[in-house]
Amino acid sequence: MTADATPISQAQIYDEEEDPRQHLMLDPRPREEMNSMVMEAMHTTTREYWIVVGVLTFLVVVCLFGAWGYMIATGMGVAGIRRPTMWGMFIANFVFWIGISHAGTFVSAILRVFKAEFRRPFTRAAELMTTFGLAAGAMYPLIHLGRVWTAYWMVPYPNQRQLWPNLRSPLSWDLIAITTYLLSSTIYIYLPLIPDVAMARDRSTGWRYKFYRLLALGWRGTETEWHNLRTAINIFAFAIIPVMFSVHTIVSWDFAVTQTPGWHSTIYGPFFIAGAIFSGVSAVAMILFLIRATLVNMKYFVREEHFDALGKLMLIFSFTWAYFYFNEYMVEWYGGDLAAKTVLKAFTQSPYGWIWYLMLFCNIAVPWLLLWNKRVRRTPWLMFVIGFLINVGMYAERFIIVPTEISTNRFPFMWGDYFPRIELVISIGSLSLFLLLFAVASRLIPLIPVWEVQEGQLAHSLKRFGKHEVATKSELE
Amino acid sequence: MAEEGRIHLALFKDVYPATMALDKLRELGIPDKDMTVVSGVPYSDRILGRPKYMTRVPRYSIVGFVGGFILSLLLNLGTPYLYPIHVGGQPLYSIPPTILLTFELSMLGLIIFTFLGVLFESDFPSLGPKIYHPEISNGKVAVVFDCPPEIHTRVHESLAALGAEWVHRTEAKQL
Repeated sequence: MTADATPISQAQIYDEEEDPRQHLMLDPRPREEMNSMVMEAMHTTTREYWIVVGVLTFLVVVCLFGAWGYMIATGMGVAGIRRPTMWGMFIANFVFWIGISHAGTFVSAILRVFKAEFRRPFTRAAELMTTFGLAAGAMYPLIHLGRVWTAYWMVPYPNQRQLWPNLRSPLSWDLIAITTYLLSSTIYIYLPLIPDVAMARDRSTGWRYKFYRLLALGWRGTETEWHNLRTAINIFAFAIIPVMFSVHTIVSWDFAVTQTPGWHSTIYGPFFIAGAIFSGVSAVAMILFLIRATLVNMKYFVREEHFDALGKLMLIFSFTWAYFYFNEYMVEWYGGDLAAKTVLKAFTQSPYGWIWYLMLFCNIAVPWLLLWNKRVRRTPWLMFVIGFLINVGMYAERFIIVPTEISTNRFPFMWGDYFPRIELVISIGSLSLFLLLFAVASRLIPLIPVWEVQEGQLAHSLKRFGKHEVATKSELE
Repeated sequence: MAEEGRIHLALFKDVYPATMALDKLRELGIPDKDMTVVSGVPYSDRILGRPKYMTRVPRYSIVGFVGGFILSLLLNLGTPYLYPIHVGGQPLYSIPPTILLTFELSMLGLIIFTFLGVLFESDFPSLGPKIYHPEISNGKVAVVFDCPPEIHTRVHESLAALGAEWVHRTEAKQL
């Protein structure tokens, strides 16, 4: 018996397979070159950059602080919140930004614990999202408070009124949990940043040198310093995960511990967390696209493989979110409680019905139809669009949970619609604040953790198995 | 390390010659405690062939956790004791919120003290003059050691033979 077999050339085999050097970890460059690339990215400011910074500053001053100041001076009547909808867009924004802030911890801490190597170049960008998202989110309870000058009443201190804050109130839990998370995430950004600001110190002059010298605290990279830093980063990575879970669980309990139909649900904690990570990871994909598009040399560090990995995470969290949402909906619907069923009906038949459909389209249809495709996941601008749509969907979810559900309460004679007014302007202001902080940070601190990238590249190598080279990783720790 | 003026710094391109240099220094009679490796990326003790270093940072974390735990108990149990608010039918001390806030404050204590641990144990912030070479953050590996004057020529020759790009007696400079 004879067989006609055409031998396949080595080149043909490799054509069909991906080049291993497209992975950042397998495409090392000298540390000096990577340092220079990151420093150049920080030092390059174009005219467009300053225009964007100027516009964002203007929006922050006018839309956030100006509108907030106007509301303080005039009274809460300029906002759309009124009976029965006393929680409106301010609280929806609060939940949204706290959700966004979960991305940093997820990407940096959980992926660090599980040693997911693709995280290395973008951990800092994700961690910055946590801190800036928290900064934007933490303003909303104060904005919502109205009489913001009384905010200090929540802090426990002996006072003339002989009153301490009620620690049984979820609002007290919020204060303590968010403070804990804000402090932890800020320190968690700072610790791995120290070696990189020391690198920047060694390459800077003038005010930048003074700034980096102060931030680097005298870092040299001795064995003792590395031991202490690595141990602390590991402790943080493990400690911050339960803190992250607790924060959004507590935010969910702001709703779930009430008797309001639609809110009183035991699944709200994990449901909120799944949604937070879903929107946060999608926002990371958006930020990575912007970093690649606006900063020089970033195409070397942020590659298609990173969008691919984030796309898979987005798809997984879309499944998780949908599972929780269906679970919550199913139990409410099957339970047959009249008030709960009325809320479910309001999802589709109230003036905000279109928001419910928008939420399902953005959070389920878009990721499920597109993200299974590797080519889509590896196309940065498409990932930006998908990330944007998912965040629109997640904002819609928060809007449905807060004003829509509260406006359809147990008393039909107290039902009412909610239309945001000054809330819209303040929302634009807080989004601008988030973007402005990011724009400023991109020129002040190294957005790429160079030492972590180099550490990963040292650990990776190609090993030949038969006729094929495969990536291998050594355990350096 | 001993007094300034006896401190030398040898700069290597890679970690391997640096580890060879450590062996050489030991061979020449310099004890482990009188040398250290300064690098731009972390290397484990095993890679460097150095005695295992035990950091005390976790102890700070434990102290912080316990401190936060105690503070939380004081806050949760002390508040209703000092300022009782009786709400019809409800107990004065509420266990679930106590658990919640105890967790948060314990973690807050742990996190703050871990950070303080890094600062104290690494002697940060210390902005004064230090022995350093800017090439370290470019990926070079430095071996800093305390060298008795009588052997320093021999040490320099040995380290240069191992591939040291730069080896000199060095003084602390402003970073």
